[in-house]
Amino acid sequence: MIENTAITRHSKSDFKSLAELAQKIAFTRANNAKIKLCANYFRELEREDVRRAVQFLGEGAYSNISGKRASIGHKTVAVLAAEFCEIDYDLVFRPSKNATGSTSETIQRLLENIPEARAKWSAENLSLEETEAIFEKLYHSKSRAAKQTVLLENWTKMTPLEVKFFIRMLGQGSLKIGLESTSVVEAIAHAFNKNSELVRFAYLITGSIGETAVLAKSDRLEDAQFKLFHPLSFMLADSIESKTLQHVEEFIAEEKFNGIRCQVHISGNNIEFFTRDLNNTTSGFPEILEFFKTRNLPDVVLDGEICVFKNDTILPVQLLQERMSVKKLTAKMLADFPVVFVSFDIIYHDGQSLFGDSLIERRKKLEKLAKQYHLPISSQKEINSNADVEQLFKQALAHGNEGLVLKRKDSVYEYGQRRKSWLKVKKPSVSLDAVILYAHADTGKRNGTYSDFTLGISVKDDDRYEEEFIPIGKTNCAFSDNKVAELNKRIKELVIDRFGPTLLLKPDLIVELEFDDIRINQRTKAKYTLHLPRFKTIRWDLSPSDVDTLKYVERMFDEKLAQKRERQGDNPSFVMY
Amino acid sequence: MIKIIKAGNHGIILPELSVGLDYSGTKADHIFISHAHADHMPRNRKLTVYCTPPTTRFMKLRGFGGKMIEMKFGETLETDSARITLYPAGHILGSAMTFVESDLGSVLYTGDYRTPPALATEGFALPNAPVDQFITEATFSLPIYKWKTEEEISAQIRSFASRSLYEGYTPIFTAYNLGKAQELMFILKELNHPMQIHEGGFKLCGVYEEFGIRLGDYDTYQRETCEGKILISPASALRSGFADNVKKTRIAYCSGWASNESRQSRLTVDELIPVSDHLDFFELIDLCNRLRPKKVWVTHTPNPDVVQHYLNNLGIDSGFLDLEAIAND
Repeated sequence: MIENTAITRHSKSDFKSLAELAQKIAFTRANNAKIKLCANYFRELEREDVRRAVQFLGEGAYSNISGKRASIGHKTVAVLAAEFCEIDYDLVFRPSKNATGSTSETIQRLLENIPEARAKWSAENLSLEETEAIFEKLYHSKSRAAKQTVLLENWTKMTPLEVKFFIRMLGQGSLKIGLESTSVVEAIAHAFNKNSELVRFAYLITGSIGETAVLAKSDRLEDAQFKLFHPLSFMLADSIESKTLQHVEEFIAEEKFNGIRCQVHISGNNIEFFTRDLNNTTSGFPEILEFFKTRNLPDVVLDGEICVFKNDTILPVQLLQERMSVKKLTAKMLADFPVVFVSFDIIYHDGQSLFGDSLIERRKKLEKLAKQYHLPISSQKEINSNADVEQLFKQALAHGNEGLVLKRKDSVYEYGQRRKSWLKVKKPSVSLDAVILYAHADTGKRNGTYSDFTLGISVKDDDRYEEEFIPIGKTNCAFSDNKVAELNKRIKELVIDRFGPTLLLKPDLIVELEFDDIRINQRTKAKYTLHLPRFKTIRWDLSPSDVDTLKYVERMFDEKLAQKRERQGDNPSFVMY
Repeated sequence: MIKIIKAGNHGIILPELSVGLDYSGTKADHIFISHAHADHMPRNRKLTVYCTPPTTRFMKLRGFGGKMIEMKFGETLETDSARITLYPAGHILGSAMTFVESDLGSVLYTGDYRTPPALATEGFALPNAPVDQFITEATFSLPIYKWKTEEEISAQIRSFASRSLYEGYTPIFTAYNLGKAQELMFILKELNHPMQIHEGGFKLCGVYEEFGIRLGDYDTYQRETCEGKILISPASALRSGFADNVKKTRIAYCSGWASNESRQSRLTVDELIPVSDHLDFFELIDLCNRLRPKKVWVTHTPNPDVVQHYLNNLGIDSGFLDLEAIAND
């Protein structure tokens, strides 16, 4: 008797279909067409597979809020792939990677082409569920060797195309298929016939694109609820160019703290801190954790800023970065750079989310809480004229803060938005002359032109370096198309080498850069990077000998640290009840 | 063994035999030009050179004013010290490999070549005698380059055109004016749909017809009438207004380099079609292994080290001749 009991897997629920879809999206130019491809695919999946597929396409191997990472470097993956293909890493893999500009694409093509590699893999049509289990296994493998074993074992079960996207998903970065997360949101709305605004809000609240898709599929978008210990995307402030503002009385003013923005979630003795990129940063601030533990607060979520605070003075954020860059906090660090959490907003209190309330109402609740439990909160000032703004702005700078945030009194907490309800007034930025070292092909609106640049400063007469120039930052130029075309023409004449989409240039083009701040970054050659660098103008009149030096950058940094900062005194940036 | 000298940017000479290969100088009595692409054609317009009949036509149309002596494939020229024979290289129409034999040994110089041969060429053939020294181009010198079969590529080319036309778009193929453009036409003629070719390529099509290669229903590009036709143009012309009056176009970039995904975002194209007139990495290593020459000289390559590493592993002695290459694949 012939039994026909073969379990047929839903055809679309394998990882191979997802990889093929991703590849198709990469070669589809119109955004609407990309969204349609995604939507058609999502519609055919079962509930758990929708979660997985949307998750993998939208955020990568792990949900952003899970805090999970594969923690496996490009180089490790590349060396492993060379081993898998039985080729020499330095002699064969590396030049191949330089030609494509992408580790994952190189691996895909070598697995397809090299006979020794071809003999090792076969398409086993791993399901999305099995793929998720592999991602989990990688997360739980702690040693590099263990992770390598997991990779090798599973590469044999995938097609090279699957391997390429598998690797890209592990990076939690872009899949390089020109699909923004906003387009994935659109695709979910499209697939399940939902209003895209509702889907977007559910995403912001849940923080998980996969869960959002499940809610949309099962008609439960309105169930999207804010949950403790699931960070909510922050409300952000838009910049204003001039300090003069119409209807200034509709706003209040707070100082823009020179610190790190942070969301604190508290429920009993469970306390967690999240930074703006929604990463859990609790372990970095044991004294704040201790502080909140002693307060016995009700369940609450506070929005605020962590500042270094010593001798009644707010100290520069650079010191905080120094503190955060060490692997293990020492007692000396804690004593030298004590920190304080200044709350300026409350978004959840005692079982109720408050982001639909007006700023005034939220402030009332925050003040009440602060008085009862003795919490530091920002000083909030009424403003009646632009002269008031000017005066408070000066005061903020004197405190060592960055400027002001003007907040509309009747505004709700617009999570994940940067609109006009909050406006930041900042001091003018600083500038320096840098040289273009690398040009990167744009994949967005200006597809095909070079408008992303790595910029260098001079270390020609610097004994610490052998190079002439070293990188100090990377930025996009926001010039008109004509100017970009002119720049691109010159760039083509300066090309020394190509690495896929990146060009190595002869150092010749000088650019005046504006930036907000200088930050320590131990992972770079210069040990510093510019914060928010922007192209001001191309200095056709300058030559490489005019480029500013690293020593100049270091001097600016030191001057910033040494800048006189007033004590909080009678008119403080924040109050402690 | 025959002495081989790289003559700066002017090609190669075999001084003992007074033979020049894709050479532009005056220090050789007999100069052989492999094919009519700009980086192989002589720059000195007063030279006398030997080449195949199609190459003489192309070079004349492209402005070469020197004297050209026609040599057919398989015909042997005997000089005082050497015997020289041309073999079809499969790169473009007329492209030839030069085989030099003498008492000192033999040299096979490939110029640009493809095996299996590109369509719309005379094919590919090797000499029936031992090759002591093999001077080979290695444009695609990395194992990331492995070409699809002729059937797969032809299907992709035809399907891009018919799909675009069906959906109301004018398909544009970007391809080099000599060789790639006519190869595409040869493949596309089966669709029986009118084609228009950039005038730089159009004027070369007559040579194909003269040598019996039919390219189908085509005309020179005309801005006013190009909509709805299959269009073929070099990429550079697209940037200076080619068919920019047509609203709905789809662009396919046709080149061996199209196998690199980064080309898509760099060029703003709808499809990458990796059709090459050069052999791929594996075919190159395989051919060296079949020929088993005493020495392989690698030219026209950004990655000589990779090729030499593979040849080393096969026990084949090799060296690098650093010739200037222009990426016109």
